[in-house]
Amino acid sequence: MLPVILAVLGALFLLAPILVVVPMSFSTAISFAFPPPGYWLGYYAKYFTSEEWLEPTLNSFVIALGAMTFTMLLVVPAAFGYVRYRFRGKTLVNLLIMAPLIVPHVVSALAYYGFLGRAKLTGTLLGVMVAHGMLAVPVAFLVISATLKGYDQNLEKAAMSSGAGPFRTFVHVTLPVLRPGMLVGALFAFLSSFNEAVVSIFIGGRAAVTLPKKMYESIRLESDPVIAVVSTLLVGAVVLGVLISMFLRRRSTHAA
Amino acid sequence: MKSYDGRVNAVDGISLEIDKGEFLTLLGPSGSGKTTTLMMIAGFEEPSSGVIELGGEDLTRRKPYERNIGVVFQNYALFPHMTVERNVAFPLRMRAFPRSQQAERVREILDLVGLRRFADKHPRELSGGQQQRVALARGLVFNPDVLLLDEPLGALDKNLREQMQVELKRIHREVGITMVYVTHDQTEAMTMSDRIAVFSHGTLEQTAPPLEVYHRPRSRFVGEFIGDSNFFTGRVDSGAPGHVELDGVGPIEADADACRRLAGAPVDVLVRPERLQLVGDSELLANRLAVKIGVIVNYGDSVLIIGDAGRQRIRIRIAGAQPDAVREGATVMVAWKAGDEHLIARS
Repeated sequence: MLPVILAVLGALFLLAPILVVVPMSFSTAISFAFPPPGYWLGYYAKYFTSEEWLEPTLNSFVIALGAMTFTMLLVVPAAFGYVRYRFRGKTLVNLLIMAPLIVPHVVSALAYYGFLGRAKLTGTLLGVMVAHGMLAVPVAFLVISATLKGYDQNLEKAAMSSGAGPFRTFVHVTLPVLRPGMLVGALFAFLSSFNEAVVSIFIGGRAAVTLPKKMYESIRLESDPVIAVVSTLLVGAVVLGVLISMFLRRRSTHAA
Repeated sequence: MKSYDGRVNAVDGISLEIDKGEFLTLLGPSGSGKTTTLMMIAGFEEPSSGVIELGGEDLTRRKPYERNIGVVFQNYALFPHMTVERNVAFPLRMRAFPRSQQAERVREILDLVGLRRFADKHPRELSGGQQQRVALARGLVFNPDVLLLDEPLGALDKNLREQMQVELKRIHREVGITMVYVTHDQTEAMTMSDRIAVFSHGTLEQTAPPLEVYHRPRSRFVGEFIGDSNFFTGRVDSGAPGHVELDGVGPIEADADACRRLAGAPVDVLVRPERLQLVGDSELLANRLAVKIGVIVNYGDSVLIIGDAGRQRIRIRIAGAQPDAVREGATVMVAWKAGDEHLIARS
């Protein structure tokens, strides 16, 4: 019984501060106040009508989609190579792939700033995409290589002895069986970019403002309660994303 | 159906000729090369030298999907995202079977394996035995020249395994297709095969019908791997025809033809435990041994006695109930007829 109580208390301790933003987003207060003096939807209306907020939202979506694509292009072939073949320096390769997870974001941001600056990509959506794409490599690699490890290669042999060549084997068997794991990897890459603030602040500049960057600036300069609205929406989106990934994973483990 | 005979020569000097419609088992311990041989027939491994022919046609450099060979894998390897019906139809789709006949053919083959009712289920909803039947149906559906089975019953429990052995034999009889079956289970090999090819360390020890392999193994390895055995060493007596001098036992009478063939040669002598009889002093059987009983294993329908005759370990299998004279620590007389032994030349 005690472990259960501790677990619930622990979860509450971690979640409560996050959940506080939900009532605050419906608050009538002109700044942050808890408990709220009254409830309305005014700040939601403000968020959904203000260019100042919608543009960073759109930017974040575009960047996250681009970063996700970039990550997948890097990670899918890397995971296939890593899981299916033995080669010299495999451990080192693994370490390099995991590096963005270990290096502090500020350090990465600084490094990307110098690197992307030379390529004239600072202050552009493409620059942020590339940086975010790199940052998402470890998490996507972990998910996708785990999926690949659990994948029975006899399925491909079975397809081939059924008369399917390499291409049709990939299309009809390999891809559909791996799809749930790939989607989870892509989703994580998307969320990692969508939520990222530090690198966005360094690379994005004036032109490529993402939602987290806008939030950071807004809270520093004006304490606008719209932030509570955005936070609520973000928490909702993340919860939805995690639920989707849990559903996909359940399907893929059932399949294996 | 096409007429053909399979002919396989593999890297490790393996030469096998498989008859059309035959049930051939590749038997051997793990790592003996039987699966490698199977995978070469399937086309997943390429021999570095030698050829694989099917009905006079050279298959050696053909890709697996260019061969007309079905494969059933040990872990079933069913496509998890497809229903039973789609799994079984897959080879027909890939091999461009006339679309109008596909559904009919799938139904037919699902009837054969008794899974018609499960056509719309996904593999994960089926038991191990049912999944194995789906794999079998998928391997058979496109009328392959040969069906290869890689330890297909290995993952099933004992009862189900026996049931599936009977089932597989029935299907083999009904379809009449050539089957090459890999297993390390000698009982499976004995009960199902037309012929058994015994593998050891990447070479082929013997290829023969089950009873021949059992009674007349060509090497000591085969005799020990298949069935229970007593092995003596000795030398065929060139002075006294029909006699063999067993090390540590003395002279015994043996099959006269075999003795003539191996006159003077050192031999391994195999006597199967069920050929040994418990005898009284009065009975006249040529070859007798006094055995001190060590362990008795009672199976109910038979008794296995493990004992010692001098330094020689002896296993005796007698049918029926345990006789009174058979007690741990007791000494019994054991005998066998001349001709019940099998001589193998020792190199």
